[in-house]
Amino acid sequence: MTAEAPAAPPQAPPPDRTPPPEGSRALRVWRSVRVPAAVVAALVTVSVLLSLGAERFPTGHLEPESVSPDGTRALVNVLEQDRDVHVTRSSAAAEEAVAAAGDDTVLAVFLDHRLLPEELDSLAALDVDTVLVRPSTRSLEAFAPGVEMTGREESEGFLETAPSPGCDLPAAEAAGDAHVAGELYTAPSGAVGCYPAEDGHALVRVRGDGTTTTVLGTGRPLTNTALDTAGNAALALNLLAAEDVVWLRPDPPQQEGGAGLWELLPSGLRWSLVPLVATLALLALWRGRRMGALVSESLPVVVRASETTEGRAGLYQSRKARDRAAAALRSGFLERTVPKLGLSADAAPEAVVAAVAERTGDDPGHLRSLLHPGRPDPYAGDDDSLVRLADELDERARRLR
Amino acid sequence: MVVTGRAVLLALAATVAVALSGLIGAEVTAVAMGVLVALLAVDVVLAASPKAMRLSREGDTSLRLGDSATVSVTVANPTRRNLRGSVRDAWPPSARAAPRRQPLRVAAGERRRVRTTLTPTRRGDARAAGVTLRSVGPLGLAGRQRTLPAPWTVRTLPPFHSRRHLPGKLSRLRELEGQHTAMVRGQGSEFDSLRDYVPGDDVRSIDWRATARGEGVVVRTWRPERDRRILIVLDTGRTSAGRVGDTPRLDHAMDAALLLAALAGKAGDRVDFMAYDRRTRAQVRSSGKGSQVGRIVEAMAPLEAELVESDPAGLVGTVLGTQGRTRRLVVLLTDLNAAALEEGLLPRLPALTSRHLLLVAAVRDPAVDRMAAERGGADALYRAAAAERTLGERRRVTAELRRMGVEVVDADPEHIAPALADAYINLKARGRL
Repeated sequence: MTAEAPAAPPQAPPPDRTPPPEGSRALRVWRSVRVPAAVVAALVTVSVLLSLGAERFPTGHLEPESVSPDGTRALVNVLEQDRDVHVTRSSAAAEEAVAAAGDDTVLAVFLDHRLLPEELDSLAALDVDTVLVRPSTRSLEAFAPGVEMTGREESEGFLETAPSPGCDLPAAEAAGDAHVAGELYTAPSGAVGCYPAEDGHALVRVRGDGTTTTVLGTGRPLTNTALDTAGNAALALNLLAAEDVVWLRPDPPQQEGGAGLWELLPSGLRWSLVPLVATLALLALWRGRRMGALVSESLPVVVRASETTEGRAGLYQSRKARDRAAAALRSGFLERTVPKLGLSADAAPEAVVAAVAERTGDDPGHLRSLLHPGRPDPYAGDDDSLVRLADELDERARRLR
Repeated sequence: MVVTGRAVLLALAATVAVALSGLIGAEVTAVAMGVLVALLAVDVVLAASPKAMRLSREGDTSLRLGDSATVSVTVANPTRRNLRGSVRDAWPPSARAAPRRQPLRVAAGERRRVRTTLTPTRRGDARAAGVTLRSVGPLGLAGRQRTLPAPWTVRTLPPFHSRRHLPGKLSRLRELEGQHTAMVRGQGSEFDSLRDYVPGDDVRSIDWRATARGEGVVVRTWRPERDRRILIVLDTGRTSAGRVGDTPRLDHAMDAALLLAALAGKAGDRVDFMAYDRRTRAQVRSSGKGSQVGRIVEAMAPLEAELVESDPAGLVGTVLGTQGRTRRLVVLLTDLNAAALEEGLLPRLPALTSRHLLLVAAVRDPAVDRMAAERGGADALYRAAAAERTLGERRRVTAELRRMGVEVVDADPEHIAPALADAYINLKARGRL
């Protein structure tokens, strides 16, 4: 036998089943990975760019970084022009900052209800001038014993009323009217009370041994909104007149202690995760391990022999090629019929028409327009006339059988 | 490395033990994981090495499409450990190897035979992809696995469905030769022998000269020519790839070619075979007497339709050049595709028909005939018109071929083989070979 070996099919594996070269494998991995990798890289880039554009400022009442109406960023910026401002978030940090600063230092304490009593005591024991803004009762006790809160004078639009200092405190006197309406305090003997109202003073300065403690009933004159009206800015700058300003706005105390569900589980249950993971890995290995590699096979082409005819039918249909369809139907009819009539295949149209008319008894004129129409073809006008053509041809074919 | 369901169960037991251990969870975890890993490792190490097994093969090498073949692998275990596990003899999917995997136990120093049954769904060569051995350790927890090469090829031959037509066609052939039981006078042109007249013989066949010499009336018998040469050419180009029904044209053509080869072999003609598209894909030359069907079947088995345009010029050149100078019947099994034939074959036909007799056989697609009869609505008519157009082109090519002295057989897949056989018998009866 001299049968030649057939050409090797494209992906037929060689008999010794050598693994594919490493290069092509790396290439395949790269091809499958590159699109997801590109998408991820694009997402990361876009999100980084977006986050660069949007600088986020912290918000909060009297927050030194906040640009919102009740923040104090404006004041801090002004202070920073000619003195050192140390913004601290906890009493420990404030104590460190005070210790690190020079002799001429002011400690400004805001939102001191967030501080623990012991922290307040330790802050009060510092040898430094202090400004308390709307202090808590406990804070008043620690910093300025003797000063009591006596009332509150808060108007809806607090910028409407700007009481005058009415005292000989230089800081207040120089500032003049300021929007300090808020909590009111008694001024014990030896203390200076300014901005008097019905129930007391909005600003009280107490002298301790070598240091002063100033209590301000409200933080509003220090906010971004109110800083540039009346004497607010001057009052603030005067109160904080020192080389170093330690600004303490404590963060809310963190919840500490307490146990989550995880801690409450018995340790045996927690540790059972390790053998569970091992079990799942073994399960995957048991079920997933294949007995040998998949066997590839080059499959033959599957195409119907009538594919080209179907394709042509689709073309006729999509282009509504009625003239061509009619011609094909006619020639099919004629090629089947003419030999039966005893005529040769290349018989003249007239002879064919005459022969058919004789056998079927039809009108030759009608037959001529049916079988050999002139232009325009009367049966190619629309789909209905094409159907009529087929029906008439079938009718003739039946009668000629 | 492989693990078994037992290993999973063991790990699950360890999980439960740790979960119930309460406060000493960490210690129990360490012990349980240590035991698990140690048991698995011991099992893997103690399993017989599948790599050390020696494989040898035997079994069938060829079968007809539709039949089953059995191929066996002998696994010899030269190690000192017992092999326990499973084996898979992997074959391409179309070979339908069964069972997919089977359990295997080979004691140390022994051998075991594993049988796999193949029921291929496609003609052609199926190559064994390798034998995968999985060896599990003595604890049945884990083991090792290895795929070893064990080359073997099983050739699936064309099914030759048209065999059932052979007896009928052979009896027609015998009728032709006068050997039929009906005692019909043999037709044909070649003088065979003289014999005594029996009532019923055609009086025109009485040999008066011999009758005068002898005692009784003697008639001449005639027989068809013998030892004619037939060349069956299978077109394996793109048109042979199209499916008529569920089977490619190529396979229908093979069926017809095999019937013709069997018939011609019985009739005493020499049959050559060639498959061609742009080059010779397969070739069988007759060597003396005897049927060539077996060899032609072998040559056909690996043939697949190639997605290339056939080269009729090369085909005509090959037929004329290499197949000797004697006149022969060239049977070309192709498709009556107007474009391919008109451009390629028709201009080169005179060179072929001047020396040989050409018979073109083509499988006709019943789907196109059904399409041509579709009615009802314009869409159906467009399909019918397209089918009419295809049929018209086919008729045109057929007429063209007939005008050039070529015999044409154009039949449905079910009828192509008997139609081709009939055409051959008719040619023989007319003495045209």
